[in-house]
Amino acid sequence: MTDRSRHRSTDRALELVDVGWSTTIQDRGRPGLAHLGVPTAGAVDPGLAALVNRLVGNDESSAVLETAGGLTVRAIGLVLVATSAELAPRALTAGQELTVPVDKERTWSYLAVRGGIDVGPVLGSRAHDTLSGIGPAPVRSGMRLRVGDDPATPVAVDVAPHRPRPDRFRVWPGPRADWFDDAASAHLTASVWTVETVSRVGLRLTGSAMRRVVTDELASEGIVAGAIQVPPDGQPVVMLADHPTTGGYPVIAVVDPDDLAALAQRRVGSTVRFCHAQ
Amino acid sequence: MSRVRVLDVGPLARLVEVAPGTAAAWASALRAARLPGIVDIVPSAHTVLVSCADRAAVAMVTSQLTHIEASAERQVEGRERGATVVEIPVVYDGEDLDDVARATGLDADEIIARHTSSSFRVDFCGFAPGFAYLRGLDEALWVPRRSTPRTRVPAGSVAIGSVYSAVYPGVSPGGWHLLGSTTIQVWDVDRDPPALLEPGNEVRFVAT
Repeated sequence: MTDRSRHRSTDRALELVDVGWSTTIQDRGRPGLAHLGVPTAGAVDPGLAALVNRLVGNDESSAVLETAGGLTVRAIGLVLVATSAELAPRALTAGQELTVPVDKERTWSYLAVRGGIDVGPVLGSRAHDTLSGIGPAPVRSGMRLRVGDDPATPVAVDVAPHRPRPDRFRVWPGPRADWFDDAASAHLTASVWTVETVSRVGLRLTGSAMRRVVTDELASEGIVAGAIQVPPDGQPVVMLADHPTTGGYPVIAVVDPDDLAALAQRRVGSTVRFCHAQ
Repeated sequence: MSRVRVLDVGPLARLVEVAPGTAAAWASALRAARLPGIVDIVPSAHTVLVSCADRAAVAMVTSQLTHIEASAERQVEGRERGATVVEIPVVYDGEDLDDVARATGLDADEIIARHTSSSFRVDFCGFAPGFAYLRGLDEALWVPRRSTPRTRVPAGSVAIGSVYSAVYPGVSPGGWHLLGSTTIQVWDVDRDPPALLEPGNEVRFVAT
């Protein structure tokens, strides 16, 4: 019985009918290797990825699909999936398709499958890092992703927790806050910023430029997710999951780790405001 | 009391400003202290970033800095002993030998002699996975980067830029001067550790 079910589980897969936009395989990433130049990667919104995993009874470290939408999968065999659009598990019978649409509320959506996406880990993680290319090969339409063994856990339908959508994101002073004039620091929290571009590497904001008082060239130094770098044009860039391990632009502030995922979910064209963390 | 400056990087990380050339020793001392809750220790040219899982770990790191500084200083003093030495065989047929010759006034043989007699140490890694900044380049070879970076530098290229030398771990863009190439793989995700050149390692180039 055990052997038979194990054999059957390896036949299950998700076929990518339409790969959609910015779709990658993600898990919790590969922290601890930044000193070798390896970005952490992992889901841009780890809490939401963990939630869809729980909805199908997976361990939170199971690999999921992260997408900016337009992803359509077809079940090979019977699979149990959950998406961030529905926030409830659903069974897909063989041949049945499911689309993860573009989400009007957020940039990054997730699809979990019971058993997890079964690709070989690279440096301890199944996350595809868009900056360095480390991890499983980029996904493309027509590809079949094997589904892992059934975790043999009960599927208890989770209550999707209410996720507060802050209208202001808390920031802490950054290591190079003193490279900017007082007006720039005040400006960061006083003005309204517009999301210009979003990728797994970072979120670029536009507004009126922040001026530096120290104009020396900064020797590259280690940076963290949530760091707000200010390149010479004065427009801030917030570092996300695939950010480079070091950077040469001064970091004026750092987004509070508890607010970062919600900020990363803001869609292009939306506005954001910051406030000082206590 | 520690003499280094410690900068806040949000609630979960600190950036320690250290003397040039000592970041790898600091990183190694921090690692050796085995403090709980540390996620990443990232040395760079003048700083070491320590990022932590929680605020308690940040407080622990801050409280231990004086001990860690002493340990880093001992490592800097005693580093001729015990460091891992990596030898890299190089075919010196790089496209930029002539440019470097013009910039330095040395001929190709002298450039090669000075590169192979330099004793390098991995200062830090960055730019790309496994890309190690090697400090210790003979001063006569300190030349600014190319005015126009190459869009594609082959994997294994041995290059110099500013005060550093490096081996390109994979194909990438690059602005350093190419002196030659090696067949040694400095980066391999299927190897443990994946990076041949880790912060603190001693490196020598050998002409073949």
